[in-house]
This record gives sequence, structure tokens and C-alpha cells, in this order.
Amino acid sequence: MDIFLERLFDGVTNGTVYAIMALALVVVFRGTGTINFAQGEMALFTTYIAWALTTQDVPVWAAALVACAVGFVLGAVTERTLIRPVRRRNDMATLIVALGLFTAFNALAGLLFDSETKTMPGLFPGGQEDYFAVAGTRLYFDALGVWLVVAVLIGLVFALFNRTRLGLHMRAVADNPESAALSGVRTGRILMLGWGLAGIIGSLAGILIAPLSSQQLSLTTMFPILIYASAAALFGGLDSPIGAVVGGLAIGLLEAMITGYVDFVGGALQQTAALVVIVLILLFRPTGLFGTRQMERL
Amino acid sequence: MTTTSAKPPAPPAPAPAKGGPVLTLVRGTAKHRAAVAAGPLLALVLLYLGSGLEPFRVGQLTSVLIFAIAISGLNLVTGYTGLLSIGHSAFFGLGAYTTGVMIVSYQVEPLLTLPVAAVLCFALGFVVGLPALRIRGLYLALVTLAVGVAFPELVKRFADLTGGAAGLVIRSRQLAPPEWTGLGAGQRYLWLYWVSAVVLILVIVLVRNLTRSRLGKAMVAVRDNELAAASSGVHIASVKTLAFGLSGAVTGLAGGLFAMYVGALSPDGSFTLLKSIELITGLFLGGAATLYGPVAGALAVVFIPYYTADLVSGHFSGILFGAVLIAIVFVMPEGIVGRLGRTGRRLVRIESPPQDLPEHPTPRAPQGDASEK
Repeated sequence: MDIFLERLFDGVTNGTVYAIMALALVVVFRGTGTINFAQGEMALFTTYIAWALTTQDVPVWAAALVACAVGFVLGAVTERTLIRPVRRRNDMATLIVALGLFTAFNALAGLLFDSETKTMPGLFPGGQEDYFAVAGTRLYFDALGVWLVVAVLIGLVFALFNRTRLGLHMRAVADNPESAALSGVRTGRILMLGWGLAGIIGSLAGILIAPLSSQQLSLTTMFPILIYASAAALFGGLDSPIGAVVGGLAIGLLEAMITGYVDFVGGALQQTAALVVIVLILLFRPTGLFGTRQMERL
Repeated sequence: MTTTSAKPPAPPAPAPAKGGPVLTLVRGTAKHRAAVAAGPLLALVLLYLGSGLEPFRVGQLTSVLIFAIAISGLNLVTGYTGLLSIGHSAFFGLGAYTTGVMIVSYQVEPLLTLPVAAVLCFALGFVVGLPALRIRGLYLALVTLAVGVAFPELVKRFADLTGGAAGLVIRSRQLAPPEWTGLGAGQRYLWLYWVSAVVLILVIVLVRNLTRSRLGKAMVAVRDNELAAASSGVHIASVKTLAFGLSGAVTGLAGGLFAMYVGALSPDGSFTLLKSIELITGLFLGGAATLYGPVAGALAVVFIPYYTADLVSGHFSGILFGAVLIAIVFVMPEGIVGRLGRTGRRLVRIESPPQDLPEHPTPRAPQGDASEK
């Protein structure tokens, strides 16, 4: 039982981080129609900025805020200057720009902050003694903190989408850009804001996961997260924010449980096993759990 | 479009007459034939000149050739058939490990392992292609991503066979050139250079013929509009699975050659998703769905990092690489070879002689081309 709870907690912690990263991908996808492969590396870059600030004795919370602001600007500027001019051409063009950004941001982080592994201070107390005992299992404060931040963030994003005028515009642009433009929505500005929002969410994901990750903060920290988040977004349905959250949690749990309970898989095949399960599910629901089916016309 | 290159065997689509062509060639005349023959001849001369360089340079060129083969494989499925694959590192790896394991554990002659690698990778490609019948677009990319993620983990899981995370080392004695070549053991680099060159030439001929065949046309039709293709009698299922199979086989060949080239394989070295990204980058830099695009792309992915690696601690090369990639999308979205081909068609025009029955059915009119506006 103890070990089950431990795996459950691990799974939920990783799952929540995958979930918000997936949410960032979904926000971009709804507006732009492609997966932003650079999302992870942009987050890595802003996380490095947060780390650099903490080494200058800036409190970690303030550093996180700055990183989010940088993430917002980075996302919005990228959309306006690099994505929008090529977006009309075709999806491949957008994808290639994203791949270019992926390489460039990773290298830029390496150039500015060198390739040494950094120790990122957590937002929450992360000592050995900082835990609740739940049925004999330790639930550490830092894990719980991640859950809380993610829960609040998801709540905010949903409130934004469903309760505000800006969110209404965002949904309108995602649904049908032309009708939205005709109804007076400034689609360009909405797209920029969408990318900026994704930048904020991504930065938060990076700042939350870096202290917990086994790799701490290094140039390779975010790539696996991006892989899982893409899988989560696809699993949930690329255009569905709820899908991203469900998908992220599902992958975190699948990973923890399969690794723990299927001997053949053990510690060696955890990513494979999680992805294979998702592919099998996709065979039955080809657009993910909550994705909209596309209609094609001839 | 199918084949596009600076060299004359360009599709007979009428060139957009801006300022008019500088040179007009009539199909079948001596001039046209000479121009057609000039391309391969020039390639052979360049290959020969390349072999005369110092060993380090020849090694670099060998890796260009191997990359060109791998990217040609990716081109079949992503360029011509329009199915984005992020998992081609797995085919590259499966090919490499097939060759490696056969040489190390079963003492098989290296060259004989290549067909086996190709067949195994064809089978894997076929299996990866099966979900493509139901799953589309980025969701399909996820399937290929799963394959790409799975490969290094599987290599580590089955360590008895593959050497696991520690790697697989092929002794250089086992990679020595065969005696009939007259090359000594120290000239392995030359031997591999020529083997890679021959394989690349075979692959280019194969891709050229394939894209002009019924299957090739069907692949492009599936890319341009799947529903329209299906209603015109294209069997989508077999086209997609075959495209994946062939694509995997070609990239697997490159993997086998790579194993002989590096002589030491490790799962996290060259067979992760980053390799897939490198291949995709090369493909789009060079020009997707062009015959020679993979060669140009391979030159770029080998030499750009090499020449920029010395600047500012290596990270600068990544920034430059990313910037070049983005610039390419802005400046020449059809890739290097795609752009050269367009310029070439403007300068040189090939006409059919009067009342000539075309040898090949005319390829699609240019409006179906994804690279056009």
C-alpha cells in the first residue's frame, strides 16, 4: 500500500507538470494549428533566467515572475515576427521554424549559462523533513506545492477561456479565424497573446520541474518533458484544454504504475510503455480522447 | 513535383516565362542528351576528386553520403507522401544495430549485413505504417515519435544482444576492406567512402524511378489530397504502408553503413530523437520531395556545425543552425535544391519535339505542388 501511494504521488507530480506543458502546446495549437516543438526549449531558457536571478539573491518567487514575464514576451514576439509570416504557407513551414527555434534556444541557453548542471532552488521547502505522512507514505511539501500551483493555474486558464472576453475571443479565433475577424476580433493580437500565454505556462512548468527532476536544470531537462507533453496533448486531443490536463495526468500515472508493476518493463522501458499504451488508445480514438474530429471537403 | 534539380531531366512543365529562358533544349536531340549525361558525369568526377582528399576529409564526406542516404529515406515518407515521421532515428538505429550485431556476434561479412538491415527496417516501417491507416497528421507523428523514443530504451533493455547502454564495439579488423579491392586495412576510410557512394547512387536511382512509377504518383496524390486520391482508385492503405516500409529500408541501409563508419554504437549517441530532428532539418534545408535535396541537406547538416563549432564554445553553432533553418523557411521555402530547380527551369527550357508521344505520362500540373503558393 505504501509503495502504491508513493508511486501514485510520483505519478501525479510528474503528470501535473506534463499537464501544464501540454496545456501550453494546446493553447498554441488552437490558434496556430501546429505543435510548437520549441515550447520546451523556450521554457528551458526562461528557467535558466530564473536560476540566474536566484544566484543574484533575488527571491525565487520574484525570479519565477520575471521568468514568466520573459516567457510571455518571448512567445508573443516569436509569434509576431517568425510564425505569422510563414503560417499561411503551410504547416510544414511553421514546424520547421519551430525546429529552428528548438535548436537555437537550447544553444542560446548553453551559450549564456554554460552546460554545467545547475541546482534550481524550489518554490517550496524541499528538505528531507518537509512532508506530511499520508497512510504511512511521505507526501513531500514540494510535490504538494507543484500540485497546488498547477491546480490554480489550470483553474485560471479555464476561467480565462470561459469567463472573460479575451478568452471568448481566443476561442473564436481557434474555432474560425475568418468569422472571428469579421466579427471584429483582432485575430493577430489574440494569436500573439495566445503564444505569450503559452510562454508563461511553459516557464512555470520549467521552474516547477527543474528542482524535482533527476537531471536538475541542464540543457536536456526540458526535452523529455516536451515529449511527454506532446504525447499528453495528442492523447487528450490537440485542441482540447481538458484533454491536455487529463492526458498529462494519465501519462504521469501510466509511467509510474507501469514502471512499478510490470516486471518486464521495469525501469528500462518506461517511456516506451507509456507511449505504446497511448498509441493503442489512439487506434480506437484517432483524434485523442477529447479532440474534435476534422471534417474534410472535396 | 517529382524530380527537380539544376540538371536538365526536369519535368516538362512549361517554365514561367519571366524574361524567357536563356537556353531551350529539345528533348532527344544531341544537345539535350549531352546535358542529361553531364549531370551524372559531373557527380562521378566530384566523387573521384573527393576520394583524393586527406583521410579526415574523406571521412567527413562519407558521413555526408550516409546522411544523404538516410535523408533520402525520410524524403520518401515525409517529402513525397506527406507523412511527418519523427521516428526515423529508430530505422537508422535498427539498421546500425543489425549490422553491428551480425558482425560482432555472428562474424558475418559486413556488406552482407546491409540487405538484412534493409529488410528488417522495411518490416518495421510496414508495421509503423499500419496505424497510419487510422491515425493522421500530428497524431501520426506521435506514433513515429513513440518508435523513436522506444528504440534506445529497447537497445538498453536487451543488453545481451546489443551491448546495452555501454555500447557495441566492432573490431576494426572485422571492418577491413575485402582483399579484391587491393586496399590495405589502413585504407578502410576509402573503402567505406566508395561503398557509401555506390549505395547512395543506387538509392537515388531507386527514388527517381520510384517517384516516376505508379506507386510514386500515388504517394504524391495521397500527400496532396488523400480523399481525392482514394476516390481516384489509389489504395491508400497499401501506399502508406509501402511508403513507410521503403522509407525505413533506405534509412536502415544508411544505419548499416553508419555502423561500419563509426565502428562503435551506443543507444544514446546517434539514435535518439535528436537524430530524427537532424534528418528532418536536412530534408527541409535541402528541399523536401526533390531528388537531390537530401544530398544538399546532408552537406548542410554535416558542414554547418563543423565550421561553426570553433566559434564561441560550440554553442554558437546551434544558434547559427537554428537561424539558418528559420532563414531558409523565409528565403527559400522550397529548400536549396527546390530553389535551384526553379531557377534552372527558368534559365533552361526543355521542349518536346513536335508530335512526340511522351515517354512518361506527364507529372501533375504544378498547382498541386505544396511548395508553390
